[in-house]
Amino acid sequence: MTELTIAFTLNGKPQEVRTAAHETLLTLLRDELGAVEVKDGCGEGVCGTCTVLLDGEPVSSCLLLAARVAGREVTTVRGLAPAGSLHPIQEAFVAHGAAQCGFCTPGMILTAYAFLRENGRPTRDEIRRAIAGNLCRCTGYTKIVDAIEASALSDAGPPAASRPPAGSVTPRRG
Amino acid sequence: MAKRPAAGAPTAVLPAAEQLRVVGRSIARHDARDKVQAATLYAADWQMPGMLHGVVLRSMYPSARIRRLNTGRAAALPGVVAVLTARDVPHNTLWTDVPGQTSEVGALRARLQVLAEHVVRYQGEPVALVAAETPEAAQQALEAIEVDYEPLPGVFDPEDALRPGAARVHEEGNLLARWRVQRGDADAALASADVVVEDTYRCQFIDHAYLEPECGVAWIDADGVVTIRVATQVIEHFRDVADVLGVPHNRVRVIGTYVGGGFGGKEDVTVEVFLGLLASRTRRPVRMVWSRQESLLARPKRHPFILHYKTGASRDGTLTAQAVELVADSGAYAYLSALVLMYATVTAAGPYRVPNVAIDACVAYTNNPPTSAMRGFGGMQMVLGYESQMDRLARRLEIDPVEIRVRNALQKGDRLPVGQELETHVGVAEAARRAWAALGPRRTPSAPRYRAGRGLACNIQPYGRIVWLHDWASAWVGFEMDGTAVVRTGVPDVGGGQASSLCQIAAEVLGLEPEQVAVHIGDSALTPLAGTTTATRQLYMSGNAVLQAATGLRAQVLPVAAQMLETPPDRLILRDGGAADAAGRRVEWAAVLKECARLGVSRSYLGVYHAPAGDPVDLDRGGGRIFPDYTFGAHAVEVEVDTETGAVAVVRHVACHDVGRAINPQSVEGQIQGGAVMGVGYGLMEEVVVDRGVNLTTNFAAYLIPTALDVPDVEPLVLESGDGKGPFGARGIGEPPIGPPAAAIANAVEDAVGVRITQLPITPERVARALGLLKPE
Amino acid sequence: MPAAPFDYHAPTTVPEALSLLAALGEDAKVLAGGQSLVPLLTLRLVRPTAVVDIYGLEELRGVRRDGRTLEIGALVRHRALELGEGPLASCPMLSEAAALIGNVRVRTMGTIGGSLAHADPAAELPAVVRALDGVMVARGPQGERAIPAAEFFAGLLTTALRPGELLTAVRLPLPEGRAGYAVEEFTRRAGDFAIVAAMAVVELDGSGRTARARVAIAGAGSAPVRLTAVEGALAGVEPSEQAFRTAVGDHKLEIEPEGDVHASAEYRRHLTRVLTVRALVRAASRAGRPASDGAARGAGA
Repeated sequence: MTELTIAFTLNGKPQEVRTAAHETLLTLLRDELGAVEVKDGCGEGVCGTCTVLLDGEPVSSCLLLAARVAGREVTTVRGLAPAGSLHPIQEAFVAHGAAQCGFCTPGMILTAYAFLRENGRPTRDEIRRAIAGNLCRCTGYTKIVDAIEASALSDAGPPAASRPPAGSVTPRRG
Repeated sequence: MAKRPAAGAPTAVLPAAEQLRVVGRSIARHDARDKVQAATLYAADWQMPGMLHGVVLRSMYPSARIRRLNTGRAAALPGVVAVLTARDVPHNTLWTDVPGQTSEVGALRARLQVLAEHVVRYQGEPVALVAAETPEAAQQALEAIEVDYEPLPGVFDPEDALRPGAARVHEEGNLLARWRVQRGDADAALASADVVVEDTYRCQFIDHAYLEPECGVAWIDADGVVTIRVATQVIEHFRDVADVLGVPHNRVRVIGTYVGGGFGGKEDVTVEVFLGLLASRTRRPVRMVWSRQESLLARPKRHPFILHYKTGASRDGTLTAQAVELVADSGAYAYLSALVLMYATVTAAGPYRVPNVAIDACVAYTNNPPTSAMRGFGGMQMVLGYESQMDRLARRLEIDPVEIRVRNALQKGDRLPVGQELETHVGVAEAARRAWAALGPRRTPSAPRYRAGRGLACNIQPYGRIVWLHDWASAWVGFEMDGTAVVRTGVPDVGGGQASSLCQIAAEVLGLEPEQVAVHIGDSALTPLAGTTTATRQLYMSGNAVLQAATGLRAQVLPVAAQMLETPPDRLILRDGGAADAAGRRVEWAAVLKECARLGVSRSYLGVYHAPAGDPVDLDRGGGRIFPDYTFGAHAVEVEVDTETGAVAVVRHVACHDVGRAINPQSVEGQIQGGAVMGVGYGLMEEVVVDRGVNLTTNFAAYLIPTALDVPDVEPLVLESGDGKGPFGARGIGEPPIGPPAAAIANAVEDAVGVRITQLPITPERVARALGLLKPE
Repeated sequence: MPAAPFDYHAPTTVPEALSLLAALGEDAKVLAGGQSLVPLLTLRLVRPTAVVDIYGLEELRGVRRDGRTLEIGALVRHRALELGEGPLASCPMLSEAAALIGNVRVRTMGTIGGSLAHADPAAELPAVVRALDGVMVARGPQGERAIPAAEFFAGLLTTALRPGELLTAVRLPLPEGRAGYAVEEFTRRAGDFAIVAAMAVVELDGSGRTARARVAIAGAGSAPVRLTAVEGALAGVEPSEQAFRTAVGDHKLEIEPEGDVHASAEYRRHLTRVLTVRALVRAASRAGRPASDGAARGAGA
């Protein structure tokens, strides 16, 4: 068994942890660093509740060995806004009733955040494609789409400088 | 010194509907801000010093004798603190009659073992428990437990189970329960009907698939009380834990967390008893979190049904007879099967006037996964039967699908086949008309290979529990000295806005804004019990309890305010955190409460709401009242069917329900949309595939629930008749929306491509087969 | 569940990776994007004693076009294929297929090399590579070798890679002249593995007839399958929908589908026919466009 010391940034704060190599980022975050805002819903990378941003891109933390984040930036939903205040996407989720049980919400918000950075004026279909990898069992998705659409239109998103080049994504239905 | 004024009688002092300030507003729910910041601590998010990790060893055989069970090697592994089997359980029986009730219901008791001792009856049945210092040690211990199973014959189909000579799942035989309802003479009516439609429908096992798997943490507190912090719909399970542990009920406490989805799957005991056992044995905190795969394997499922319908009508479309035979699969243990069957029996004829009815329903044990509560609870499975039949009648008789339903729709004052009179407004006809009209003009399909079709389905779903359970709920409402208010009630919040609605009700009655009301919920030691968050009962029950408590509190303090303002109490207007008279002279609550303290007037009130109660009725003999009331609705869908692959896509979905009064319209819409999408999943893609008792769909790659791309926007149409048994005339809305979608889709598919699918889910392959597209090579 | 413990190595060069694999033997697993391997580890279905994490091998991230060959490094991510920029734009089939893989998170981490080496018969990229007659580049103790796709995908989750060999790149020959690609996938839900997918490449000659058609099928056998009988029947034929239907209807399909909880063998066979026709029609219509359109993004025809 290998033990590693991993230095990375979590929500802007430098971290240095010692962990077994076979540990996933998910268990490292939840059990060692107390970042329980990242949820464990399936362990297969399907449900999306374990979503974090790795250098700004969404990944399944349940499918990432902790060693992979060395030298990188990890962002959870708590990194979107200073403690006590809400990012506009979070405000929109509250205003539109997009959270019921709330378990899918952190992963959903992070996915929306990363998506809106690439596509600031999405159609409702594009929003649905963007969140197709985040399962929700309570809301039926309509109010989640409402919230993401509203936060795009409110034009209060993050600065354009960090936006990667846009690509058009059109997955097909079978 | 002014005398304490006489308290007013705590009758409901309801403002007229148009004067409601808070009730009826779409306010953001109080837990929403926490949830978007992930500040909410779910049951698995709780850590305690010295916490151990608990895991369950489960049988991989659906039917077997346990020949040998040896835990010695496992217990000796480093980091393993306890390994428990059946003989370590003080009282190894769990009664699963009706969760959360103090009334026993004779025939509806059922039991199972906490840990299997001699025999396992389903794949996944718990056999042993482990507590260890790390998850890794726990896992290794599981793998080191030696179990020898001797496979036994099993039975895997409920119809087979009811035949003579079938392998017995339990000593007493495989028939668990049977309900019959008769009205008039269905046989004769069918014989003389102008038209009879007959067919058999089948619906499948499905899983709750909430995003939060089962989990909790237990510890022994400083007073020696076993404390269990758990994701549950029923905090009253503290009694079950106490009985199993052999300790007094007042030595176990359950704290219900905000639940990441329940839908009936966290209604029976999940981790509570295991945690209680491990914490008691180790005297250390223990956490147990089931994996998704474990949850999909082992948790009770929705009851599959075989529905045989024979429906008779006259040429003008008037229903004359409904003869229904139902067979349901209870799986290996009874859990709530007898009750589920009752809901099915009571609703099987549909929301229609039918003079001649014969319903014969039975549920059988098999060695399949056990089945228990799931949103809709037997009532939702029936919709496929009665709405497919209505649609086919409409086609046979060439009557418009809305018209035939309106013609036969129940109305207030009618009696259900079981004998119960409908005491509140019945909105079926209006819902059918409104939902269908809202579809708008027919769209052209998006490509030549698609055919578009439309389908309608109405439903009836009870809310509130069976009246002979003598349901009740309590709530405590009190003022703090600064004029803010507190609500304490045991209601678990599973995401449906249960706690938030109570906040609105209290604020309405007390002249406060919702932000001035704090709600504390879900603690069996600290909050007055409110019963289960199930059966679409919480708004009805706890809502009424909070209404009663807030009204009682208001009646206590209002005379004091009246005295301070020298105005009769009934002339006071409560708003903006105080009371005012017609001339605008005000007094703030803080001042009133100070005066109350001086006069010795209580600043709190405990409300206990008792649902109308009844005695158990014999369904066979024209029964009588079963449920407090029912919610009615209708969904209309438009689908596109790919004529080459059979794939069905829902492109438009309108969902209409009469909710009586929408306490929080945004919450009501959310419930309708969520239930509708869950119903679409049931109709199109969800299935727990079980092959001779072996579960083949135990991960999220295989068990498919809808993603955002699989469903359209759901348009909720909220009707408010004002006539319901809940607070302010509300009706329950948690379960009803899940009923219509599957049947509406089946009807739309026939409209699109002319084939009738009678088995769920309506997979592309089933449609392709029905269209004759699959030819042998 | 926690994965069973293993020794972890993160080489920074390919030679280092190769010597590690040689030393560790068959009980070591190679880790690339992790989207296939990590769930197997955390479900404890595989318990290697060592994991060699090759994600740091920067030299395997390149994409270059060399005349009519597109060479893609094994660690190029699905996300990059989906975006299809730079030299990747010369093969729009990759973008169309990659957009269908899993969800956005899978595409952020998953790699083409990982997908090809894992060889799931329902995966999109192995079938794309098979349709394009791609060649896998492998490096091992005996040096570098080129393995044609027909040989590389040997069976269910099995490739022709030898012990100690690492897949380093895939080379795709790009058709000359008027060529069109299409991916037709049938899934129960968006983002699922294919029930069946048809990958078609159609090349037209000067007079607009079919010079060559190639179709590879995912999900209807233990490895991607080329429909050689259908392909043979289409040479020289007018690229019309009717012609495609006739060719598919009249000829044997070399597939051997198996049934599972998602679809029966019979249904997969039916889907193969339907999707093959659809893919050929779309590929042909794209081939019929002027050269500048033929090189455009494949999606959304």
